[in-house]
Amino acid sequence: MTISIKQLHEHFVGEVSGIDLRDPLTPDQTREIQEGMDQYGVLVFHDQDLTDDQQVAYTKNFGELELAVGSNLLKANERRLRLEMADVSNLDQNGVVLTRDDRRRMFNLGNRLWHSDSSFRITPSKFSLLSCRSEPPKGGDTEFAFMPAAYDGLDAETKAEIEGLVTEHSLIYSRGKLGFEEFSAKEMKTFAPVRHSLVRTNDFTGRKSVYLSAHIGTIVGWHMPEARDFVRELVEQATQRKFVHAHKWELGDLVMWDNRQCMHRVRPFKDIGQVRDMRRTTVAGVGPTVEQTSERAA
Amino acid sequence: MSIAIKQLHPHFVAEISGLDLRQPLTPEKATALDRALDRFGVLVFHGQDITDEQQLTFTRNLGAIELAIGGNVTKPEERRLSVQIGDVSNLDQHGKVLAKDDRRRMFNLGNRLWHSDSSYRSTPAKCSLLSCRSKPAAGGNTEFAFMPAAYDALDAETKAEIEDLVTEHSLIYSRGQLGFSQFTPEELKTFTPVRQALVRANDFTGRKSIYLSAHIGTIVSWHMPEARDFIRELTEHATQPEFVHAHEWAVGDLVIWDNRQCLHRVRPFKDTDEPRDMRRTTVAGIGPTTPLAAEAA
Repeated sequence: MTISIKQLHEHFVGEVSGIDLRDPLTPDQTREIQEGMDQYGVLVFHDQDLTDDQQVAYTKNFGELELAVGSNLLKANERRLRLEMADVSNLDQNGVVLTRDDRRRMFNLGNRLWHSDSSFRITPSKFSLLSCRSEPPKGGDTEFAFMPAAYDGLDAETKAEIEGLVTEHSLIYSRGKLGFEEFSAKEMKTFAPVRHSLVRTNDFTGRKSVYLSAHIGTIVGWHMPEARDFVRELVEQATQRKFVHAHKWELGDLVMWDNRQCMHRVRPFKDIGQVRDMRRTTVAGVGPTVEQTSERAA
Repeated sequence: MSIAIKQLHPHFVAEISGLDLRQPLTPEKATALDRALDRFGVLVFHGQDITDEQQLTFTRNLGAIELAIGGNVTKPEERRLSVQIGDVSNLDQHGKVLAKDDRRRMFNLGNRLWHSDSSYRSTPAKCSLLSCRSKPAAGGNTEFAFMPAAYDALDAETKAEIEDLVTEHSLIYSRGQLGFSQFTPEELKTFTPVRQALVRANDFTGRKSIYLSAHIGTIVSWHMPEARDFIRELTEHATQPEFVHAHEWAVGDLVIWDNRQCLHRVRPFKDTDEPRDMRRTTVAGIGPTTPLAAEAA
């Protein structure tokens, strides 16, 4: 059976049908999905009743797994899921909803800011795959913004200005925007800023993206206030409604997105009272986007 | 000659003609301007070639002058204008464009964030009057967002949630968003957070506003990250294109806006190359917005 892809948004997002993600992929299917990701940035699959094992196996079709370490405040004994799965739920290790003032919850509120997964890593992620295992009755949509369209929408002067710029990304910056600053010495070290190119090009389509993320704290060689304002301006431009698609989750949905050319964010829901169990697998990128300083050399 | 009012945006902003702001205003006309400000939030006047003195005299028709102290990191000997005038230019005391890495310039970049003037004062400003004396070739628009329309568009649940909330405002918070955090002990004291009601009603129209500002750092008795995210969400809602008007400046324009029911921000321009000489007079508010204002924030 061949897969078919229906575009859901003027600029991006494909809805895929004709595939059961629990079955092994043929090389043709893998290629079609890979090309679909390059072209559409986001692919939506419905009615995929997956186990964690099946999700991990499917994810490996697209590259190495990125492990869920160094990306949040969870201590080893607080994990609900295995290291191959990023826990994007509002649940603790016992499956109980995090309380209002839980430090992990405060930290996770940062996911409501527009970001690209793992842009705080020297080698940032390629794809994220999010499986919906339980969803709140209202809210909790994931919104996606398509960076090739945002790049195309920039004026020539801005395109010239951003070409060659290098940004610094860290979880300290994204959480700092929400006034979350209580990091341990160990966390400060884990979250030390990394550098990325502000403009990236997709190998397959050749389209350029603005590589933006809430994790950006400054631009190399710029004063921080000027850099922050400039990046805020780019993010505002890149997340205009015309570049944004909102995915309303249903049980069994699996959505995969290309972090190299999309930003995303979760929308608010009643996360104190209601369960939202979302499980993410992540495909690692192939390498850094730019050379690091000597202290943070890969 | 009578005043003519033309509305420029579906929700707000009126262009006023038939007034020479250099001439004394009758009490009736002053009241008419106040009512227009209540209704339209922003009043635009063209072709007003006025001096600082004339601007001050006109401003006093709308209330007491708020002095331009405690609102930035400019030292007294660095002032270009009198303390009755807020210097919203990119110029130093000698009329020269501020250098790229000037601390005052870094601080002033905060004006590019959506804010309400003086919301960091325990009695915040009523309205601001900005006169355009010189402008850059491109950019530097001022954008306004109308908070009564933004409030009306909230769902009932959110309206109920925000009704009695009290926020904390400080220049430390707005500048902190841009990573500007090198304040002297004296500045930290001057910029101590103050409390404001999150919902305000206009006395004349009765319309409620969300009283937002980049100066907000938290909500009383909330955890800061949750408060920041909630305020970010409200600000995103309140500054959607449908609630926003962009004013493109011409020399001689004077624009009045009501800080009690409008947010505003300046848009980028080549500020290290071109002068933008804008002079602001500010009318003080009549008191705090919340009984909690007096409590130490």
